[in-house]
Amino acid sequence: MSLKSNLHNLKERYKGKKMAPAFNAIHTFLYAPNETTHSGSHVRVVDDLKRTMNTVIMALVPVLLFGIFNAGYQHNAAVDAANGVIRQASIFGNFLTWENFIMGAWTVLPLVIVSYAVGLAVEFLFAVIKGHEVEEGYLVTGMLVPLIVPIDTPLWMLAVAVVFGVVIGKEVFGGTGMNILNPALTIRAFLFFAYPTWMSGDKVWVHQAVDLAGGPDAISGETILGYLAQGKGAEMSYSVADMFFGFIPGSVGETSTILILLGGLFLIFSKIASWRIMVSAVAGALVMGLIFNGVVDAGWITETSKFYGLMSFAFWQHLIVGGLAFGIVYMATDPVTGAQTNRGKWVYGFFIGFISVLIRVFNPAYPEGVFLAILLMNVFAPTIDHYVVRGNINKRLKRAKNATILPRDVEGKAQELKAETV
Amino acid sequence: MLEHVELFFKSIFIDNMVFATFLGMCSYLAVSKKVTTAVGLGAAVIFVLAVTVPLNWLLDQYLLRDGALAWLGPEYADYNLSFLSFILFIATIATMVQLVEIVVEKFSPALYNSLGIFLPLIAVNCAILGGSLFMQSRDIQSLGLAFNYGLSSGIGWFLAILAIAAIREKIRYSNVPPPLRGLGITFIITGLMAIGFMSFGGMLTGGDEAPKEVEQKTAQKVEEEKIIKETKENTVSYNNAIINE
Repeated sequence: MSLKSNLHNLKERYKGKKMAPAFNAIHTFLYAPNETTHSGSHVRVVDDLKRTMNTVIMALVPVLLFGIFNAGYQHNAAVDAANGVIRQASIFGNFLTWENFIMGAWTVLPLVIVSYAVGLAVEFLFAVIKGHEVEEGYLVTGMLVPLIVPIDTPLWMLAVAVVFGVVIGKEVFGGTGMNILNPALTIRAFLFFAYPTWMSGDKVWVHQAVDLAGGPDAISGETILGYLAQGKGAEMSYSVADMFFGFIPGSVGETSTILILLGGLFLIFSKIASWRIMVSAVAGALVMGLIFNGVVDAGWITETSKFYGLMSFAFWQHLIVGGLAFGIVYMATDPVTGAQTNRGKWVYGFFIGFISVLIRVFNPAYPEGVFLAILLMNVFAPTIDHYVVRGNINKRLKRAKNATILPRDVEGKAQELKAETV
Repeated sequence: MLEHVELFFKSIFIDNMVFATFLGMCSYLAVSKKVTTAVGLGAAVIFVLAVTVPLNWLLDQYLLRDGALAWLGPEYADYNLSFLSFILFIATIATMVQLVEIVVEKFSPALYNSLGIFLPLIAVNCAILGGSLFMQSRDIQSLGLAFNYGLSSGIGWFLAILAIAAIREKIRYSNVPPPLRGLGITFIITGLMAIGFMSFGGMLTGGDEAPKEVEQKTAQKVEEEKIIKETKENTVSYNNAIINE
């Protein structure tokens, strides 16, 4: 109570000053404010912006914890593999261990801290300059960013990218709710195109693989998609269960499909994320995967082709490797940058799944191309919405034009107003 | 057939006129405030590109390139008139644009009024001349492919202006900082959209005939090659821009 009243006093003291938004943000982040609304009518709902953000964060926490354990596990597994020992993942045997947790926490938590510190600093700065309250938009972005970057991303790169993403991706459009591209994906794309050596290849996905490269105890950290893109699918030693439960190398949070699935169900249940986008994105990915499998089955493409490895990959397995599941559940469903209309959401989601698998297979440079597909569809989401809205307007205009009031017939019986539904 | 499909998707998405080569920016920025006008201008650009590129291909093939005049007789075989390309290409384009303008004025006065000065300006739109010059420098092999190239580059430009017009309609009520309102934010949006379109950069490189070494290529190498290629193309387009001016 005392902290709350202290904060309240601070807030009162700085009221009307330049720093007021910064203090208000800290106050409302921890407590519900004392004020009540004074005038006018208000929409009163429970799930305000802050509650929405918190729900998504809750859905992300299991993924983050798993990512921490997996970071340690992958490092130890890669060291074992370099020494010629093949590991079998077992959850309580060699996965949920203190050793893994400490190593993972030591590498993952700095990413989280830097992402939040830099991003929130920018948000506070803009709130003070522009004189509005600090918006909660960065809470989710700041959690997503460390989950979608490779584990050993240098912290200064992350900081630079976060500044770029928050300023150019969001603040110049007027802040939370106004941006056209998902800020977390903008940050990822900035990192990817500005520092490609740190964002792709076979070394960045396992802790310390880059540092040890070339040395006597070099370890490898190729992702499954990387193996396939190079046509080395046969050398891969991961089972389908490994892919589904997430004992595979990859970006910090993207590996465990089961936890992402649970998070997605939680988001659908709490009505935060759109199930339409998720369902149609999964459908789009499956359709594209089936098309590619069909091409392989029909024999149009031989094993010498560069695309053979990924094209022959079973269509449903696309969903459980790489960032597709994570992107569909947490990124594509972003309510700001996605399509807003219900019919638009089906189209938007379908193309995300479709283009993700397309980029994976056809673009040898970006086997992890899900984030680019979502960015591309973010670009086209307003167009989709525009045409859905225009379509509805035209349909109703047509209906209004065709509605006819028929004259009384011979018996003098009034006929109903007949509206043609087109 | 396969080369047609490949060229079609390549010119729409990979070598997109706006997002890969940044051509035709003037009308792209100026006429993208409303979706309906953007659609009109986009359609005009598709039409003009689809007509002028094959026409210029014929000019190039039978008049301009080294040895193109051989069909007149053996004594003309070593003439090289390619220094005339710019003048002839521009003349063709200007004629075509006049034609489009007359047709649009006749059949759709509303569109004609909303396009305003920008329809005549298509004549000096660098995307149009760029299409013809890319056709020349990329050595497009047949009349059909040239038509395909013109049509699909036009569609790529159309998609770009359509998307940005919808985005600008969406952000009309956004609280953009005052110094950035108008063109400033449009440039930023264009840059961000180009990031989205980079998903296709380097796509479809390789295939059956790709040698084994290429398969080991890292993402970075592909990037580097693309940058080198783009710089080359940008130099070409820069020259075009100067000539346009």
